[in-house]
Amino acid sequence: MVDGLLILLLFQFLGELVIHFTGLPLPAPVVGMVLLLLALMFSVPYSDRVADASGALIRHISLLIFPLGVGIVLQWERYSDYALALTVAVILGTIVALVLVTLLLKLLLRERGKAGERGGRADG
Amino acid sequence: MAELVHSPLFGLLLTLASYRMATWLYGKVHSLPLFHPFIVASIPVIVVLPLVGVSYTEYRDQTQVLSFLLGPATVALAWPLYRQLHTVRSVWRPILITTFIGAALAAGISIYLAWMLGAPEAVVGSLAPKSITTPIAVEVVKSTGGYVSLAAGAVAITGIVGALVAGLVFRMLRVKDDRIRGFALGLVAHAIGTARAFEFSEKAGAFAGLALGLTGLVTALALPWLWPLISPWLFPG
Repeated sequence: MVDGLLILLLFQFLGELVIHFTGLPLPAPVVGMVLLLLALMFSVPYSDRVADASGALIRHISLLIFPLGVGIVLQWERYSDYALALTVAVILGTIVALVLVTLLLKLLLRERGKAGERGGRADG
Repeated sequence: MAELVHSPLFGLLLTLASYRMATWLYGKVHSLPLFHPFIVASIPVIVVLPLVGVSYTEYRDQTQVLSFLLGPATVALAWPLYRQLHTVRSVWRPILITTFIGAALAAGISIYLAWMLGAPEAVVGSLAPKSITTPIAVEVVKSTGGYVSLAAGAVAITGIVGALVAGLVFRMLRVKDDRIRGFALGLVAHAIGTARAFEFSEKAGAFAGLALGLTGLVTALALPWLWPLISPWLFPG
């Protein structure tokens, strides 16, 4: 766990360093994530010790985001003028995006999809 | 007595207690998306804060340690991404094409709808990263000049809506392939969609996790460059 946290913070810091020296308009943790992914793919020693800490943090992402997310309600007076735009964009936008992405996947995975389904039925 | 509520201990205790109660209830109702811990946990917090006279800004400062952990949590996403890169080698091409088109669609549709209905630049900018996992969205929204709390809230609601309608959408479109169910859920509805995908099957969950990582990555890499091009076009002057 401590090893994992150490690795995660180290890679986040590496991300900060990259941003500092290149001025790229990217979030430092995202750069850290890419660097860690590369480290894992090239089997850098000890990099796989991030497993436990990563699992723990990812499992509780809703808790970590909660204090920020609850602000949508607690600062509602700031956003209430755009209630209609927000509701439509978030709810309708999500449903439309889900339908389109599903159709796109159906199209792209059609051949293999049929094979997979048949396999699934044979198994079950 | 009054000074007791003005410390990080109070904010953290309130948050953890509300969240723990919410996850317990979520288990009791068999993970019904409408009872997502995020929704349920927000009720006691929204009621208690005004009662004890703690402003939202103060509460956010009190709970800063949780928000800080979003940084390492983002870096941590490399792990499931790495694990699943091996399981999807055979379909990497359609997966990558879908990631690029899907990430653009998910962001573009919301930007368009909010803009069409007259939302100002900062609000539209807050919605752009709504389909990506919160720790990344919170970072990306800084580059689009949006509000962090609006972006985080929009991300949570997007996930809940996606998880709620997924069953119906897949039935109507006659989707039985768990790779499609999982990837679509992870792409559009990030971590909350991924949890829903695991209810379909382990395979759906793995594809959702992959989609979550890829979409977050693509959006985080593209939006900070694209937003300065889109924004002046939508909001001239």
